[in-house]
Amino acid sequence: MRLKEQILEKVFLLSAFAAVVGVILVFIFVSIKGIPIIKSIGITKFIFGLDWAPTDKHYGILPLIIGSFIVTFGALLIGAPMAIGTAIFLSEIAPSQIKAIVRPAVELLAGIPSVIYGFFGLIIIVPLVRMVFGGSGFGLLTGWLVLAIMILPTIATISEDAIGAVPRSYREASYGMGATKWQTIWRVVLPACKKGLMGATILGMGRAIGETMALLMVLGNAPVVPKSLTAPASALTSIIALDMSYASGDHQVALFAMGIVLFLISFSFVGLIRLVSSRG
Amino acid sequence: MRKCSRRPSGRPKLLALLLLVSIGTGCARGGAQKTVSVSGSTTIFAVAQAAAEEFNKRNPDVKVTVQGGGSSAGIEAAITGAGDIGMSSRDLKDEELKAGLAEHIIAIDAIAIIVNPDNPIEKLNARQVRDIFDGKIANWRQVGGKDVPIVLVNRDEASGTREAFLKKVMEGKKFSKDAVIQPGSGQVRSIVASTPAAIGYMSLGYVTPEVKVIEYDGTRPSKESIFKGKYKLSRKLKLFTKGRAKGATKKFIDFFLGDWVQKNIVSVEFIPVRG
Repeated sequence: MRLKEQILEKVFLLSAFAAVVGVILVFIFVSIKGIPIIKSIGITKFIFGLDWAPTDKHYGILPLIIGSFIVTFGALLIGAPMAIGTAIFLSEIAPSQIKAIVRPAVELLAGIPSVIYGFFGLIIIVPLVRMVFGGSGFGLLTGWLVLAIMILPTIATISEDAIGAVPRSYREASYGMGATKWQTIWRVVLPACKKGLMGATILGMGRAIGETMALLMVLGNAPVVPKSLTAPASALTSIIALDMSYASGDHQVALFAMGIVLFLISFSFVGLIRLVSSRG
Repeated sequence: MRKCSRRPSGRPKLLALLLLVSIGTGCARGGAQKTVSVSGSTTIFAVAQAAAEEFNKRNPDVKVTVQGGGSSAGIEAAITGAGDIGMSSRDLKDEELKAGLAEHIIAIDAIAIIVNPDNPIEKLNARQVRDIFDGKIANWRQVGGKDVPIVLVNRDEASGTREAFLKKVMEGKKFSKDAVIQPGSGQVRSIVASTPAAIGYMSLGYVTPEVKVIEYDGTRPSKESIFKGKYKLSRKLKLFTKGRAKGATKKFIDFFLGDWVQKNIVSVEFIPVRG
């Protein structure tokens, strides 16, 4: 019995270790391939350069970084309230029959491959944006709408966990003092799980900044700082995917260095989650 | 309160993709060559695919696989050995010339300039086309069309068609950076087909009735005008191999250049080089 316990312990340790090793290996690999950027192009020219034109040997990624962040925050602005609303509805309001429909639907949303979201964006949202705003229909706004739907399940399920973890006694106390349902949700439940909701939102942010395929399909891929919400734009990830197949030399180094940038952004999101959940 | 921090899970996607790509192309190399992997130009893709199907039917012991990716990807694959044959609709660049690739011309093609069928424009001269793709002309009104902003649709930088267009049309001017960039001719076509104000370009072989081909500098692209050299936007389509083609690779290229493929497959979309 004792032996079995020990073996199991080791097995679990090993699987936990695999994640760590995985992260480290990927980081080392990407770094080795990307670090030469410092010598070949120069870090300031790379990060702050405004011109991304690989055939002309210009490798400035600032427009892509800006694109990535605008896409991410726009998607959050639309998606996070919707997701938290969904979570509140599921855990506080919905009767169990409706819950039985909504929850699997949200979970299903998480399982849809991103290429399908991209396809959906291409067929439905691109023509819609084009009809309403003119132009090509490809661009930030389209990216926001598609990404907002994609991050909804991530934020919603984790927010629901957070809301569900608020002790029942809080709600009972609130109702006991004569508060309405809305007052209870708004003044008692949500403040009590604020940290959890923030953590969920940051996770959604991580999902959004890493999204590739769907963005490649709906953003329009113009490597410029977008002039308007309906003008084509690019994200770091979509350009890596677009260029990966043929890049060589400095261009390839630049793509890996973009990978490092994405890594750092992800790290800071994880750090942000730690900070949020450890404080107070 | 319970802590609700979970880890994001989307990150290793890229690595997985890279791995898949390397596995997919790596298999073709081992042992006695039984598979021939062909990749590159999306312009040649459909023709190569059709030729490969017929070739596989006739030669059950060899398997030819065809992928897109753009001319640059094909050339890169041929140079690194990730693939056996690279399809290209452009010439080699200086740094690629040194790699010792052998060239096989398989067809002559024209680049057609396409607009939406609802667009009243029927022709543009070389200067107008250049100014449109350069961004100087930004409204259809400026070339005699409706008063709507032009939606530029361009190919990605891996595209040989883009490279050829840049060389033949742009004359040193740069492409406008505000264009919608698409990684394949098919996507360009579907966007132009569905967007009233769009303009794009693609191989004549890719044109369908969904889009309208316009006259470029006084000439409409046709087999005749290309053959006689009147239509200016024509180019050679090529296959590249690392060094001289050998074994199954050579067999496939010979088949591609043979009468049957040239007559039944190539001539449907391009000008054959033989037969």
